[in-house]
Amino acid sequence: MNRKGKRRLVTWTVHLLLLLISLICILPILWMCLISIKPTSETMSGFQSIWVYHPTFANFKRLFAMIPIAQNAWNSVFTTLMGTVTSLFFCALAGFAFAKYQFPGRNFLFYFVIATMLVPPEVGAVPLFIIMKKLNLVNSLWSLVIPRIATAVGIFYMHSYISDVPDELIQAAKIDGCRDFGIFIRIILPVIKPALSSWAAVTLIARWNDFFWPLLYLRKQAKYTLMVTISMLPVSEGLSTPWPVILAGTTLVIIPIIMLYLVLQTFQKAGMMMGAVKG
Amino acid sequence: MLKTLKKYRAPYLFILPFFILFLVFQLIPTVWTFYISLTNWRGIGDPVFCGFENYRKLMLDNMFWDALKNTVVYWLTGLVLILVFAVLIANLLNSELLHGRVFFKTVTFLPNICAAIAMGLIFRMLFDENTGLINEALQAVGGKRIPWMTSTEYSKLPVIILNVWRNTPWFTMIILSGLLNISRDYYEAATVDGAGRWKQFWYITMPSLKNILFFCSITLTVDSWKIFNESYILPGPGTSNTSLFQYMYESGFNIFNMGFASAIGVILIIILAVLSMVQMAARRQQGEI
Repeated sequence: MNRKGKRRLVTWTVHLLLLLISLICILPILWMCLISIKPTSETMSGFQSIWVYHPTFANFKRLFAMIPIAQNAWNSVFTTLMGTVTSLFFCALAGFAFAKYQFPGRNFLFYFVIATMLVPPEVGAVPLFIIMKKLNLVNSLWSLVIPRIATAVGIFYMHSYISDVPDELIQAAKIDGCRDFGIFIRIILPVIKPALSSWAAVTLIARWNDFFWPLLYLRKQAKYTLMVTISMLPVSEGLSTPWPVILAGTTLVIIPIIMLYLVLQTFQKAGMMMGAVKG
Repeated sequence: MLKTLKKYRAPYLFILPFFILFLVFQLIPTVWTFYISLTNWRGIGDPVFCGFENYRKLMLDNMFWDALKNTVVYWLTGLVLILVFAVLIANLLNSELLHGRVFFKTVTFLPNICAAIAMGLIFRMLFDENTGLINEALQAVGGKRIPWMTSTEYSKLPVIILNVWRNTPWFTMIILSGLLNISRDYYEAATVDGAGRWKQFWYITMPSLKNILFFCSITLTVDSWKIFNESYILPGPGTSNTSLFQYMYESGFNIFNMGFASAIGVILIIILAVLSMVQMAARRQQGEI
C-alpha cells in the first residue's frame, strides 16, 4: 500500500473508532431520555422499548407527586453552589500561599497536603458521623459544605497554576501598597480566572453527583439531595416504582448538569480565544 | 517561634483552613476509627473495650472476605481497563488526522458528568435478565440470556462496566493533556528516521507519559478501594458484588455494629497506606522520584 493509501486507512480507523466510542458514551443517556417520556402502559421489553408511540410527561408528574422534588432540588443546588464557591476561594488562597510565599516548613507542609490524598476521609465514616452529630450538623446541608471547604487536590491544582503567575506582577502590586490579602483579591484571582473556571466545572459536577456524604449525613426526606431521593425511588412506597418514572428521575438529575457542562464548555473556549488575542 | 509566626502570618493564615479541616474531619476520625474498632460499640451507650475481638470476627466472616475479593477485582479491572481505554481514546483524540476534535472531546467526556447513581439505575434496566436491552442484543447475535443481576457469577460485571464507562473519560482528559505536552518535533524526527506509528507510540508516547500514568494509577487505586456508589445501586444476590467500603457502611449504619465497621475501616486504611508505599517504592527504584 502506498503512503497516501495508508494515511487514508488510518484516518478512517481513527474516525470509526471514535464514532463507536461516542455511541457507547451517548446511547445510554439518549435511551434514558426516551424511556422517561414513554407511557407506563407501553412495553419496556427489549428492542420494543425504543419505540415511543405516545410521548407523555405523565412520568414526571407522577414523580413530582411521589417526592418533594422542589425541596430536594433546592438542597442539591444549595450544596453544589455553596460547596463550589467556598472551595474555589479557599483552595486558591492556600495555593497562592504555597506558590508565592517563602515560609518555614513550606515544602514539608505542601507534601503533607498531597499525602493526605492517599487515605480518603471516607474510611473514617463512623467517627465522622459522631463528629457531625456533636457539631449539630446531621440533617444540615452545611455538613456537605464545611468539610470540603479546602481540599488537597484543589490546593494542588491551584498551586501549579498560580506558580506560573509572574512574580513581577506581585512585586508591582506591593510597591503600589497592596497587602497580602489585597494582592490575592486584586491580582491573583483575576489572573487565574481560566483555572478558576475549569476547577469550578469539575467541582460543580462532583458536588452535584455526590452521593455517599448526603446519604450518610442527611437522614430526613426533606433534607435529601436529589441524588439520595432518586436512589430510593425503586423501593419507595414499598411497591416497585414503574421504570419510566425512575428514569424520569434520573433524567432530571443528569440533563441539567449536561446542559451546564456544555454552557461552561463554550465559555471556556471564548476565554481561551480572548487570551490568545491578547497575546 | 512566635516571631516566625508573626513574620509569616499571611501565608500561615492562608493555609490554616485546610489544616483545621484536615484535623477535625480527617485526622481525628482516622485515629478515632482505630479506637472504636477495639470496642463493641453499637451506636448507643458507652463503648466497652473488647481488644481485637472485632478483628477476630472479621477473619472468620465470609462476607468480609467476599467484599475484600470483590474490591480487589474492581481495583484491578478498573486499573487495567480504564488506563488502556484512556490511553487509546486520548491518542485517538490527539491524532493530527482527526476532524471534529471538539465534538468528539465533548461527547466522550459525557459519561464522567453523569451521576453513578442515576446511571446505575439505567444500567439495572439495561442489564435486566428478561427485558433488558443487553440480553436482547446478545440473543439477536445468537448468544444466551445472562442473569446479570441475579447470579453470583455475573453480578460484578455490570458494576465493572459502569465503573469503567464512567471513569475512563476523566483519565482520558488527564492523559490527553500529557500528550499535548509532548513536542511534535520528536515525532517528526522519528518519521524522518523511518519509525512507524506503532514504534512512535512505544518509544516516544509511552515513555513521555510515565509520570502521568503513575499519577493516574495512584488516583485510581485510592478511588477503587473506596468504590461505593456503583455496587450500592447495582446490588447482586447476597454479598456477591458488595465492595469493602459498602460492607463497612452497611455494618455501621444499617446494623449499627460500629466497632465491627471501624475494624473494616482500619483494614482499608492499612491496605491503602501499604499500596501507596509500594507504588512509591516501585517508582523510586526506577529512579524517577
